[in-house]
Amino acid sequence: MNNLPCLTALRRIVLPSVMLSCLSYQSVFAHHVLGRPAYSLNEDSNTPPSMAVETQIGDFFITYMVFPAFPKSAQPGRINLYIQGIDEGRYFNDKVTFLVIDDAFFSDRQEVIGTQDIDDGVYRQGFVFKEDGEYLIRAHFEDNEVPYDIDFPLQVGELSPVKPLVATVLVLLFTIVGSNLLMGKRAQLAKFRAHRKSET
Amino acid sequence: MMKYLFMRQLNKQRLCCLSLVFLILIFLPFASIYQNYTAAHAYDLLNSEEKFLYDVMQTLTEPLVSDPVQLDALKGTTWSARIGGYKISDPLAVVSQSFASWSWNPSFAATALIPLLVSLLAGRIFCGWICPATLLYELNTNFALFLNKLGVPIHRWHFDRRLKYGVLISGTLITMLSGLMILPAIYPPAIVGREIYYAIALDGFSISTIFFVLTMMADTFIARRGFCRYLCPGGALYSLLGRYRLLRIQRKVSVCNDCQRCDSICEFGLEPMSDQFGQECNNCTACIAICPTDSLQFHWTPVDQPYQGPGHQGRQYVAANTDLIATDTRSSCCE
Repeated sequence: MNNLPCLTALRRIVLPSVMLSCLSYQSVFAHHVLGRPAYSLNEDSNTPPSMAVETQIGDFFITYMVFPAFPKSAQPGRINLYIQGIDEGRYFNDKVTFLVIDDAFFSDRQEVIGTQDIDDGVYRQGFVFKEDGEYLIRAHFEDNEVPYDIDFPLQVGELSPVKPLVATVLVLLFTIVGSNLLMGKRAQLAKFRAHRKSET
Repeated sequence: MMKYLFMRQLNKQRLCCLSLVFLILIFLPFASIYQNYTAAHAYDLLNSEEKFLYDVMQTLTEPLVSDPVQLDALKGTTWSARIGGYKISDPLAVVSQSFASWSWNPSFAATALIPLLVSLLAGRIFCGWICPATLLYELNTNFALFLNKLGVPIHRWHFDRRLKYGVLISGTLITMLSGLMILPAIYPPAIVGREIYYAIALDGFSISTIFFVLTMMADTFIARRGFCRYLCPGGALYSLLGRYRLLRIQRKVSVCNDCQRCDSICEFGLEPMSDQFGQECNNCTACIAICPTDSLQFHWTPVDQPYQGPGHQGRQYVAANTDLIATDTRSSCCE
């Protein structure tokens, strides 16, 4: 929508968080959206399981699908993006630019993957990631000179659940609990001494 | 004798209660994720970690509920929760919501009725027995002592306890004027409950985590339990509600030996040995547990006792009385 830093930060934190929490729920309905036929969700199927997110922005209803649902590095995948008007149901028909943003801490890397035209009502973008990681796929388009930026989360490969902030909090917790275990009964004595010291 | 043994164990039971509340707060977001997985029938689509979580939660909950949907019986945090068919809210939640919306919702207010009655009965008991931040703050107190032992200087500065009433009033005023619920943003139990949920279910923390860590650092380096004693808006509300509470700890001066252990153990800096409990006491019972002569006990009374003087088993009292007897003896001798 616009590029204010706070809005960008909000999109980076809140939207992916909400989306991630919905992923497992959304994925079941992935193949039923917009009247698409239901495919087999088996890994051996010609159409591998997809991960899909639906959202509404401005006058558009957006459906974002990633194949495969859990892409890995050096493995080709693709994004299908459907942009449909909410009121009249028309498909948005212009160019959509796909960007990838590294969602890791302290990283501001971003690249344009490609700009796509509509193809049978769908914007298709292929990708191959070099490294595992957490990324945001940003779909950018303009309608009547109004810019739209929509960020979707994309995890590539299996990542460690322990992230920097989680690790910091866990270290703090272990330190506090550990020191308590080390202190044991001596904590009472230390309190007594500290109290006497503060009185004198 | 049994009564005293039971009273001495209350502090341990309280720590168990705090730990249980904390564990429930950790369990609930996992339960929520598990419910999402089961509702989506998406087991085959889960990655290995998610499958592991699903299997663990299934194993844990199967003996308790036949359908994961039934886990809805327990929801929320200590800010506002549903337990069985009952909804319970922190009185501060009702205050915040009412002032933010400029409206009065009787059914929502009714959810704070039980905490309200318990506070009228036992004062800041929520702070001592339920608040999930209390567990972390108490662990942090010992951590500060540990640091001190290692040579890190820690301070025990004292401030005016009425500061927290200022925080409560100003927070309420800002809420009224802006419509923003500012109080839960600075209220540690609400923060802890919320952040645990964010961390587990949404894979991240909010800025409140940093605020909470700062309060812990202030507790470590500036004043022991400083936030609870001087700044907590919820603590202020519970203190006000508990001003004329009926259940109070009181000192039995005849068995007190003036050892001062109660004063030193009190996290809130109260002085049980001087009969100074006031409206701040959170009934943590640490003083009861540490008292070697069982002189501190719960009593049903709406007011504290005035200072009763030194304990009758203490050196000061014994010396004074010995001196009195000697004087009497001398005077009778002279007569």
